[in-house]
Amino acid sequence: MIRYSYFPGCATESTAKSTRLANDFVFDRIGIDLVEIKDWNCCGATSAHVLSEALGLSLPARSLARAEADHPDLDIVSGCASCYARLKLANFKVRSDKGTRYMAEKVVGRPYEAKREVYNFLDILSSEEALRGIEAAILRKFARLNVACYYGCLNIRPAEVTGAKDRENPLMMDEIAKLTGAVPVEWGFKTECCGAAHQNDAAREARPLVWRILDNARENGADMVLTACPMCNMNLEMRQGEYVKKRGGKTIPVLSITELLAIAMGAGGERIAIDTHHVPVMRIVAKALRGAESEAAI
Amino acid sequence: MTDHEILQELMDKADVRRYDCYQCGKCSGGCPMADGMDLKPRGIMRCAQIGSLDRILKSNTIWLCSGCYACADRCPHDVNIPAFIEEARYEAARRGITRRDSEVLNKVFVANLKMFGKSHEMILAGLYNALALKPTQDMAALPHMAGKRMIGPAPHRIEGRDELAKLIERAENWDKLEEYK
Repeated sequence: MIRYSYFPGCATESTAKSTRLANDFVFDRIGIDLVEIKDWNCCGATSAHVLSEALGLSLPARSLARAEADHPDLDIVSGCASCYARLKLANFKVRSDKGTRYMAEKVVGRPYEAKREVYNFLDILSSEEALRGIEAAILRKFARLNVACYYGCLNIRPAEVTGAKDRENPLMMDEIAKLTGAVPVEWGFKTECCGAAHQNDAAREARPLVWRILDNARENGADMVLTACPMCNMNLEMRQGEYVKKRGGKTIPVLSITELLAIAMGAGGERIAIDTHHVPVMRIVAKALRGAESEAAI
Repeated sequence: MTDHEILQELMDKADVRRYDCYQCGKCSGGCPMADGMDLKPRGIMRCAQIGSLDRILKSNTIWLCSGCYACADRCPHDVNIPAFIEEARYEAARRGITRRDSEVLNKVFVANLKMFGKSHEMILAGLYNALALKPTQDMAALPHMAGKRMIGPAPHRIEGRDELAKLIERAENWDKLEEYK
């Protein structure tokens, strides 16, 4: 069995409740064991590194040090782009710079050598073994469901830290989504920034980022947007009332890739608390499932 | 120290060579926050080249950059602008130059961490709105979230709260030590 130390991220305990339930469901079905890091703390995104380099690195370093001590043989995975970016950067800097390692260990007060890798969900779900596992676990497929795969910026950049090969048109999520019968659309905003916490502290300047992403998804025929980060998901979804008022047209559901997988693997809406979404999801999902059934009947 | 020398020091810390930039503007063209910036990313690099430190530190750019790395990734000369902006922001903060809304959010964020060890978006948003005098921002979503119990009166807290408070204190002291050096 594949095992990882797991950093869930704060959002999974509140605003991204459904994503958390879907994560657990999906990884259980495909036989990947996520071992939650004991007493993990907030990674500091997005304020800590704005204030101070020492704080920005040592907050993620504490959780990583705990993972390293408890499970020295396991790599680490996070399901949130911001957490992933902070954890990965701390790992990267501690590994490449002795001064940073000294600082991190002094401030954290625990030994930390950055011996293991940090991954995001897209990395581990797009491995060949995981793709086979997903394929085997899918019980029902969607028909005529166009999805815009939104990767967010920090799952992909900066390249020297993430090692991502294609930063303008990544395809990992598209490949995963295809297994459910969904059809990924080609669109231009896969790795554009959602504004992160600037939706709070610079709302006027940051709102257009969300509007442009949603516009481009709709213009390219997407029925829904798929995400790989609870914060992106919230930013793209929570303010769609405001969006429709500004831009007209209809709202567009935003779902995490693990939620789409969970439904395809047989999870009912209740099982993954799908009704916690601000923009209703089930009507469109049910229609796509019915469409698949009728196609199968023919 | 002259402004040029200070700029050079910030550049060295960020591992950026300011004269590598040949002002093509690809950074500003792709920056998602450029519309709101009073000095676009290309302007930041130009000011750095001519030694106009003040304009950089007083720009809203250093607070509006979301750190998405689109500019750095697309730069034909590998100039890591976000890394430099980060150092410029620390320098601005050392001189007491801040942007009010950013300062409020960041303070509330750290206070949240000291209390819980985790970040609670709605507590964060609520405190931010109160202190930044934006009582209605995003509050339309509140009834839904409360109704679905996505937020509640008993937020998760970590066991190592004392440990984390000490960590935060040590990080703050580390910065002061750096400043002293």
